[in-house]
Amino acid sequence: MIELRNVQKLYRSGGEKLPILRGVNLHVEKGEYVAIMGKSGSGKSTLLNLLGTLDVLDSGEYELAGQAVHRMGKGKRAALRNEKIGFVFQQFQLIPNMSVYQNVLLPLTYGQKRWSGKRAKVLHLLKEVGLFHKRNQKPSRLSGGEKQRVAIARALVNEPDLILADEPTGSLDEETTENVLQLMEQVHADGATVIMITHDLEVAKRAERILLLKNGMLKEMANEAAYGI
Amino acid sequence: MKLLTGFKLAWLGLWANRLRVLFAMFGVVIGMFSVIVLASISIGVKDTLLKQMGGLGAEQILVIPGRVLDTMSGQKDLLSGLTSVPSTLTYEDAKEAEKVENVRSVTPHLETVTTIQSGEGKEAKKLQSVLVGTTDQYSRVQHAELAEGRFFTKKEQETKAKVVVLGSNIHDGLLGKESTSEATQTPGHPAPEPWWKRLFSALTAQKASAQKQEASLVGKEVAINNEKYKVIGVLSPNAALGSSTDNNVVMPINTALQETGMKNLNKIIVEADSTETIDQVDSDVFAAIKTHHKDIDYSVVKQEQMLEALNKVTTILQAMLAGITVTALIISGTGIMNVMVMSVRERTREIGIRKALGATTFEVMLQFFFETLLLCVLGGLIGLGIGYLFIELWNHNISVFSLVLPLWAVKLALYSSLGVGTLFGIYPALKAARMNPSKALRFE
Repeated sequence: MIELRNVQKLYRSGGEKLPILRGVNLHVEKGEYVAIMGKSGSGKSTLLNLLGTLDVLDSGEYELAGQAVHRMGKGKRAALRNEKIGFVFQQFQLIPNMSVYQNVLLPLTYGQKRWSGKRAKVLHLLKEVGLFHKRNQKPSRLSGGEKQRVAIARALVNEPDLILADEPTGSLDEETTENVLQLMEQVHADGATVIMITHDLEVAKRAERILLLKNGMLKEMANEAAYGI
Repeated sequence: MKLLTGFKLAWLGLWANRLRVLFAMFGVVIGMFSVIVLASISIGVKDTLLKQMGGLGAEQILVIPGRVLDTMSGQKDLLSGLTSVPSTLTYEDAKEAEKVENVRSVTPHLETVTTIQSGEGKEAKKLQSVLVGTTDQYSRVQHAELAEGRFFTKKEQETKAKVVVLGSNIHDGLLGKESTSEATQTPGHPAPEPWWKRLFSALTAQKASAQKQEASLVGKEVAINNEKYKVIGVLSPNAALGSSTDNNVVMPINTALQETGMKNLNKIIVEADSTETIDQVDSDVFAAIKTHHKDIDYSVVKQEQMLEALNKVTTILQAMLAGITVTALIISGTGIMNVMVMSVRERTREIGIRKALGATTFEVMLQFFFETLLLCVLGGLIGLGIGYLFIELWNHNISVFSLVLPLWAVKLALYSSLGVGTLFGIYPALKAARMNPSKALRFE
């Protein structure tokens, strides 16, 4: 599903280029559930942005579903994002002046794919995440957990192969975290590949595999000690 | 993404930010309102002046005091070539012109300022007016319609009958009604009304006259320079730019010459049999009048030449208004661009989200471009509507000149709003489209 080979990413600061990812290699099979851990500033989000084609790598190769992302232009990357990837962010990233329904519908507005029964699809997903009754409300009227469930519904609406979650439980309480993690597990059980960025070991343990990003390099985490806890 | 979807997203974007949209639109509304109103004023003024000039008729020529100098191309330069000299035109000149072949009528025009009085003692009302001495052809040639009574006859003209026809303001003023004339108040009268009331009366002259009472001076006597005259008719109001008969007191030319002691006319209107003979009549009248004059101190001008001069003036007016309009459009366009740039900045995160969900650079650009375009078109339509209302209100209440809203001005306003939207929508749209999604998502 995902193949990263010797990926480098530089961070530009005051005319200086500092490496944030130094030769990252990653292989993720279709349908895997992977957690990536690392300390603040270790480059977790940078890596997620690269995987999500939101950013471009400075060197190395990236293949997603057999397509060479590193050779793609902006347009193709946007189309790939729309067709194959669903995002779940820590800050939910919902558009504040659009309703819950409109937010979930948004990915179906873009891309080349012609969707039939868009409305039914969105409403079905909202039922699945338990927010059908709040479909006409603005995100500001929702709790953190509800916002994240809307974000998950939006991530799933275009039936992506890959779900990228950046600290999806970072802003939630324990009970809501559990609900969101169950939803993620459901998504995974339905066949999607899930890559989740987190700094919470308990959350990461729910994944099939845990990777650790340290010093710009990605490694399999053998035990808790490796994370330095 | 289809264009329709782009429009839909732009509409949603506008709706979601409707308060800001309203403020942003204000500039375009004012811009389009100015396009409509200024175009209407320019056309209205031109039409009114042309109608007045055109009212003379293509077969009419005007004999005026002073010599109109010729241009390099031999044309009469009515704009800057008109010399200012005292009139030497006399009634005898008019009679001489009457003898010219193919002349249908000759209407002399003597004008002076006089004071007219109605009633006596405490009831007396005095007004300043323009005394016009002319012939029975006046009402036909000047298109001066009668509101009541009749015009004087040729016989009354020849017998120096002491009869007058009053302009509507003079008639109303003498009856003590509100009038648009600058009436001189007689002592003991109440203080003049405040300026705003007088202005309102002036602006609503037509209404005021429509509401006039049944009272009339027709058949009664008025005094001019202590001489009694019988009022035989009242002219309909015709408040207009330039000339108006509203403040006139019209009497037969012979009576006017005798009573005022004046000899010189202000103008003579000569009417030819047809437009085919106009050139011949023009030169023959010139020659006929010359027999009474040592020097050429008068001019014979055809309607066509006057229209040409008027066209030059109105073209300058239109160019000036076009300049103001373009300035208004640029200002409103810049305003829109500012608001849209601010909007793009405020919505940076939204742009990041849209891109993360698969919006391409082109799709983001299209959305913001359409937002500006829709904003301008909506503003344009609102400005057009307000402009139309303004014109309707003006035409119903103000009679000095009518505003004309031609179809081309409507098209110009709509195309201008589209043009402003297109021109000033490109930069904010490009700014939005070029954003890096990962940076945009982190924007605080």
